[in-house]
Amino acid sequence: MANSASILLPRTSLRASLMTLPMALWSLVIFSPGLRAGSNAQKLATLLVLAFTTSLFFLMLRSGKTYHYRRIFFVSLGFLFPVGFITELVMLRGSMSLPMESVLGGNAPFCAMAIPMTLVPAALKRILVFPGAILPTASNPNAFAPMVAVWFLAMLIMGRGWCSMGCFFGGIEEGFASILKKPKVKRFPGILKLLPWAVLLFIVLLSALSLSSTYCAWLCPFKAVTEFAKIRNVVTALQFIIPCLLFATLVVILPLLSRKRTQCALFCPFGAFQSLIDKVHPVQIRVDREKCKDCMLCEKACTNLALDSDCLKSGKPGSGCVKCGACVDACKSGAVRYHVRGTSLSARAETARLFFLYSGWCFATMFGGSILVSSLATVFHLI
Amino acid sequence: MVAAPAEALALGFSSGLVCMVSCGTLLLPWLGARGQDFKGTARLMGQFLSGRLAGYLAFAVLAWALGWLLARSPSREHLALGLAQVGLSIVLALDGFSLLRRPSCPVGKKPLWSRLGSWAPLGLGLLTGLNLCPPFLMALLQASKGHHLGHALLFFLCFFLGTAPWLAPFLLVGTFRRSQALVKVARLTTLIMAAYYLFTGTLLLLGSFLHG
Repeated sequence: MANSASILLPRTSLRASLMTLPMALWSLVIFSPGLRAGSNAQKLATLLVLAFTTSLFFLMLRSGKTYHYRRIFFVSLGFLFPVGFITELVMLRGSMSLPMESVLGGNAPFCAMAIPMTLVPAALKRILVFPGAILPTASNPNAFAPMVAVWFLAMLIMGRGWCSMGCFFGGIEEGFASILKKPKVKRFPGILKLLPWAVLLFIVLLSALSLSSTYCAWLCPFKAVTEFAKIRNVVTALQFIIPCLLFATLVVILPLLSRKRTQCALFCPFGAFQSLIDKVHPVQIRVDREKCKDCMLCEKACTNLALDSDCLKSGKPGSGCVKCGACVDACKSGAVRYHVRGTSLSARAETARLFFLYSGWCFATMFGGSILVSSLATVFHLI
Repeated sequence: MVAAPAEALALGFSSGLVCMVSCGTLLLPWLGARGQDFKGTARLMGQFLSGRLAGYLAFAVLAWALGWLLARSPSREHLALGLAQVGLSIVLALDGFSLLRRPSCPVGKKPLWSRLGSWAPLGLGLLTGLNLCPPFLMALLQASKGHHLGHALLFFLCFFLGTAPWLAPFLLVGTFRRSQALVKVARLTTLIMAAYYLFTGTLLLLGSFLHG
């Protein structure tokens, strides 16, 4: 019989409510400007998101499960962000396409996914290979410096947990991956798990060679749901078609058929880049070999293809782990757990989980919650 | 007599960083994919540089014989570059494929893609030598001015010697061979590079064909 130290029993509602209070207060602080000074639509959106995020946190604490409730937040973020973003683009400039004047004028909004590409050219030539501003301006608040600051903060707080709580694109494929009950595609060749690293090396080298943001220009699948360079010729047409094909394949079709986040696990170079930095993050997923029964339920549950028999033998998941909690929740023997570096594996697993949840959810509320409020308010304005 | 070689050496050395980044985009994953130690990597680099020198000298002959004909016409430049990049992609793909799918039985005749893969270092060197960047075009112009073939050959030899030291850091790639994961990543990157060069080469060939 598993002891309660290894498998968490549900908390009482009272206890969970008390533990949720700090998060509720934090959310109130974050969202209070919207409650005080916004329009009615803004206020309603803020109230809904405040209730939404706080409820989910309460349920995570009460049930002792992470994955299911985190997924609800993450999928909501993934689908609402493009809705709000595209609506704003259409209202501002009439289409999703980015005019060449904005690109040449350095007014393209900066996305954190471009960070790996900017490093080598910045080091060699001291230039920013992205058509955006370094500091925010009135016409372009999403500049390089603030986005890098936000990303850096996320790395400090969550490590690669960004990919399961912060990335406003990952929720789209996680949503599609959740639709079917049983996968139609059950296996991927093992070598493909290294493909994100190969794509990362490729775009870093090519960006250094061409002094341009190669990934953004040619390979980012999420241009299909955000913005893209205005189609003027064959090259710009290809720069739209290729990402759309990648979106259809990696974000919609393959996740639907395999129930896995194939874009994140098999392609995303930014995820691979984050895995490097995650190596020093204090919270990791670990497998207690003494408790593990090799039932492989964790491997089936993992949406990022980060667990296999070799990983279980070594006691830790592969570099694709996004700390989503699916394996932890699936493990019936309490062998898979959140773990704080430097502590013993026999230490209380729930402490590490709470440490991660409180810090990660604070960021998720601040960052993702703000995006949800903005997107919902945009939708309400349209109604 | 001394001025032209010295000029070529200076031109090569001053544009070496461009060569380093340009060739490095290919060399880094390709050498990594080979998983060789320092000696093995040095041997591969030697073969690569030999192919590169052969490409440079071949261009020297062309420059002398045709009087910089290629560089005067943008469409011919695109045609040459396009053909080189498509050739590069084929060599990379064959080599990458041969590394990923080594024959399970070492006895007997090696498959074609494996035999072709053993010529990869020379082929890659030859095809990367054809990089019509501004310093190369300037070297081409200078070489074409000479009346003697020897002048053109000497000019390009000195240009090659000026750029070669910039590729020396890639000898250190062999230190990463202990990590099987890194070697596999390098092999996958080589295949991605092959797709990239096929794509850009095809675009250049189409452009050359459409714009005459």
